[in-house]
Amino acid sequence: MFKTPSHILLVDDEKDFVEMLSLRLQENGEDVLAAYSGQECLETLEKKTIDVIILDVKMPGMDGIETLKKIKKLHPLVEVIMLTGHGTIQAAVEGMKLGAFDFLLKPADFKELTEKLNRARERRKEQVERIQKAERAMLLRQSKI
Amino acid sequence: MEKTNITDPIDVLLVDDEDDFRQILSKRLTRRGIHVRQTDRGENALQMLEQESAEIVILDIKMPGMDGIECLRRIKKMPDMTEVIMLTGHADIQGGVEGIKSGAFDYLSKPVELEHLIRKIKQAHHKMQRIQAEKEDAAFKERITQQMVVAERLVALGTMASGVAHEINNPLAVIQDSAGWLQQILDKSEMQNMPRKGDFQKGLERIEKAVKRAGKITQQLLQAVKTQTTDTADPSSFVETDLHKLAQEAITLVEPEASLRGISISLTSQEPHPSAWTDPLQLLQVLLNLLSNSVQATDDGEQVFISLTATLEEAKIIVKDNGCGISRENLARIFEPFFTTKEADQGTGMGLYVSWGIITSLGGLIAVESEVSKGTTFTITLPVKK
Repeated sequence: MFKTPSHILLVDDEKDFVEMLSLRLQENGEDVLAAYSGQECLETLEKKTIDVIILDVKMPGMDGIETLKKIKKLHPLVEVIMLTGHGTIQAAVEGMKLGAFDFLLKPADFKELTEKLNRARERRKEQVERIQKAERAMLLRQSKI
Repeated sequence: MEKTNITDPIDVLLVDDEDDFRQILSKRLTRRGIHVRQTDRGENALQMLEQESAEIVILDIKMPGMDGIECLRRIKKMPDMTEVIMLTGHADIQGGVEGIKSGAFDYLSKPVELEHLIRKIKQAHHKMQRIQAEKEDAAFKERITQQMVVAERLVALGTMASGVAHEINNPLAVIQDSAGWLQQILDKSEMQNMPRKGDFQKGLERIEKAVKRAGKITQQLLQAVKTQTTDTADPSSFVETDLHKLAQEAITLVEPEASLRGISISLTSQEPHPSAWTDPLQLLQVLLNLLSNSVQATDDGEQVFISLTATLEEAKIIVKDNGCGISRENLARIFEPFFTTKEADQGTGMGLYVSWGIITSLGGLIAVESEVSKGTTFTITLPVKK
């Protein structure tokens, strides 16, 4: 089955990790962009259309939680999956309360990652569709007045 | 150590070769509520003490065969804290002094006045109890100090190890994804006829397996450290837990492995079944750990025992085996992270470390006693109430 590539943004300060995970996702036919800091992530979001962000919790400078808050404020429809070490599950829980879609423990199982990615993409798609429907309904109502 | 109860009669062994004197004195002491055994010879006295210790020995100095002084010296070499009162002949101050030098509590000269003797017996008994209490106190302090030293070292080790684990997780993720990526490529249809594809596959599988193992270790380690550093466990996961049911559940889970080798696990529990206000899942993890350790240490066809008791304050879970035991050097280190005597791919050395972390965070204590080729006993003490 052919699948439309989704636009994934991978945010982690560990370059080797970002590179390898990108390669794997690309091998699966995804369209992947990389950012190596929270700041870079926000800049990329301004320029490109992104469906799902995979976001490391622990980063120097702006950390994952802070980045997440800004993402949700500026681009509320983008789905975020948090990547955490075992000791930072607390942060993952906080992230989900702030609107992150789900979280994964590092080193993440690729199958699990793919599944969560797909579900996040689904939610994003449905959300966008609902908004479009609502917009159409709104336009329809306005045109009747 | 045996405890002497204040209301118990004092145990006295009366040693004198003069039959009439001994019989009368014994009768009189018995009438005054003292528990008396008697014999006419030093050699017999030593034998009787071997079989059952006495608190006080009343010992005549002049006896045929082994004399009183020799007998006294031998009694003092015994591990019991028996006090000895010497009986000397009239005006034999010399013998009495020698007795005291050799460790006697005091001496009385014959003829003995009963009230005087009873007073001495009570004084000696008092001294014995005091020494025993002091010894118990010292042993208790020693135990607490040791536990604190162990706990401090474990926390320090844990902090360091978790730092390492955190740092290792990142490169581990890189290794895993690199191998995964190559695997993805190998699975593509255009790679179907790649030369030596099997070898590549084999290598990648090994990498994946090793990474999984390393990941498991770092996860366990970080979990253990997490349970300790959050001081106490999350109280919202605490419920009134029937320890008997929990133990049964643990047994059910370990039994398949045990029965393969003909090992049975016996559960004895006080009635009514002890329960505790605790986190059942965490406690179950500890029980599984201890039981499966015990099963592994036990010979085929033998038994592993788990027993439960409780007071109003605390519950005790004892896991006991008659297996290979743990040597003294190893015993001091078994709660350390990464300490294992199993083969490299059999154990991570994290089980008991994690168990220790869990029990500590549940507000309990975990202790171990072991003797090589006799067996091992783990005792968990948990608070019962909220």
